Amino acid sequence: MSPPRLLLCTTIALALGVAVALGVRSATLLSLLTQAAIYAVFALGVGLLLRQNGMVSFGHALFFGAAGYVVAILLQVKAVPAEAAMLIAVLGSTAFAFLIGLVIVRVPGIAFGMLTLAIGQMAYLGASRSRGLTGGADGITVEWPSALFGLPTATLLQPWAMLLLAWSALVLVLLMLALLLRGRFGAVTEATRDNEERARFIGIRTLLPRAAVYALSAGIASLAGVLAALNTGFVSPESLHWSLSGVALMMVVVGGTRVLWGPALGAAVYFLAKDLLGDHAQHWMAIFGVALIVVIVFAPTGLSGLLLRLVRGGHGPAAAATRPGA
Amino acid sequence: MSDCVLQTEDVAIHYGGVKAVDGVEITLLRGQIRGLIGPNGSGKSTVIDAITGRRRLTRGKVLLRGEDVSAAGVVERRRRGLSRSFQRTSIFGQMPVRKQVELASSLMGSADPGADADEVLRELSLDTRGDAIAADLGYGEQRRLDLAIALAGRPAVLLLDEPMAGLSMRESLDLAQHLKALAARREVSVLLVEHDMDVVFGISDVVTVFELGRVIAAGSPAEVRANARVREAYLGSAA
Repeated sequence: MSPPRLLLCTTIALALGVAVALGVRSATLLSLLTQAAIYAVFALGVGLLLRQNGMVSFGHALFFGAAGYVVAILLQVKAVPAEAAMLIAVLGSTAFAFLIGLVIVRVPGIAFGMLTLAIGQMAYLGASRSRGLTGGADGITVEWPSALFGLPTATLLQPWAMLLLAWSALVLVLLMLALLLRGRFGAVTEATRDNEERARFIGIRTLLPRAAVYALSAGIASLAGVLAALNTGFVSPESLHWSLSGVALMMVVVGGTRVLWGPALGAAVYFLAKDLLGDHAQHWMAIFGVALIVVIVFAPTGLSGLLLRLVRGGHGPAAAATRPGA
Repeated sequence: MSDCVLQTEDVAIHYGGVKAVDGVEITLLRGQIRGLIGPNGSGKSTVIDAITGRRRLTRGKVLLRGEDVSAAGVVERRRRGLSRSFQRTSIFGQMPVRKQVELASSLMGSADPGADADEVLRELSLDTRGDAIAADLGYGEQRRLDLAIALAGRPAVLLLDEPMAGLSMRESLDLAQHLKALAARREVSVLLVEHDMDVVFGISDVVTVFELGRVIAAGSPAEVRANARVREAYLGSAA
């Protein structure tokens, strides 16, 4: 997609967000859509790692939860303004991920997934047991100041405003990724993902791009974590738990990574389907598990891949159906 | 020796007591095609791995345009002009054809990678397949794409490890003719490991014969064909 077309799509998407945020009257629906948008950002981070590096992380909740904790602790000790705390949380997570990425992205296949799981669970246990710093298993309340970015926090925390904020973040992350990946960085990481040895033999130093993708995906997950902390005003060790990483991964699989917005679609389907189930939601994970199996068997490219195939008439070679696209 | 692009001096690769390659000296002139032949396991592919930095030398030197590149890594050697293909087709399966050739060209510092990619694809009759995803190509086209990736960015030396493997006789001869024309037009020097003797003797300017990790003969195709030891060790009496 050309940059002018991308900008047009972004403008339309932002306008759509404004229309929904101001048009929907139900606070419950607004809250549900806000959660979906925040988790869509999280899923985009996890999906980016799969799409550009071909790597599955079982530990991205580490960045989601840690970003919330960083903001909460910095505000509790009143070390920096809230805006700076949010920035430190995102940039700090990204920098930390880049450093550990330089080591762990060298590990191939399932061993990489196990490493991410181990690191994430270490953080979970650490947060659960450090009562003095994190509140332990009880979690920690985020003490937001009365104003954020020059706006009254009470206004910002209105359901319509939170949706607008989360939706705008989602759209802008998508735009940033689309612009970044259409250039040389995208081509380099795709080549490395497809055939790392050949990539080295055409002159690519493969470690740095892989670590950069890992860091970028962690940064996006931490942005979602900051938004979640703003939305709920609370952070607990559950936000670091591997099961949250698993949920994000399920969203990615259901949505697909063939297109950039696939994981976001997966997140939307996850939350909307869960809400539609109503009283049956206590069996939600079992139901979603069945849905996951159905998608993997009948639509291995995810719902986004299925949608694209339907739009294009269901034709095209087999390989085209499985490749990550634009 | 100003025309000498690539030279190996006493190159050896040993695995413990096993001498995979020992004391190999090869010279490649500008625009020259040198065929490397020999039985399986005689060290031909290992020599290519040694030259491109895939395997560490036990002894010896690799000189590229007179500069010692023995300590340089794979990426550095490629950027200095050493390019290679692999025995098994090695492409970027999920990327469009043109995009991967253009990327390879840009990484070599081409002034206009797009134009270079178009030219290479045209020369290898892949210009109509530029937007296709590599995995969707036929096997013969994938082998040509493999070659196109290696040729992108105008490398000085091209090391080809059995580029005709798995191709039909017609496809092999077709690719061989492409290769011969490309080497002349782009003044690229080629080191060609190949089991198809018709191809090797048909397009090589010089041929080097390996046996048990050592060079046993080298010369023009006619000289090598006439060499009694080569006939006995590799070509057989019918050659």
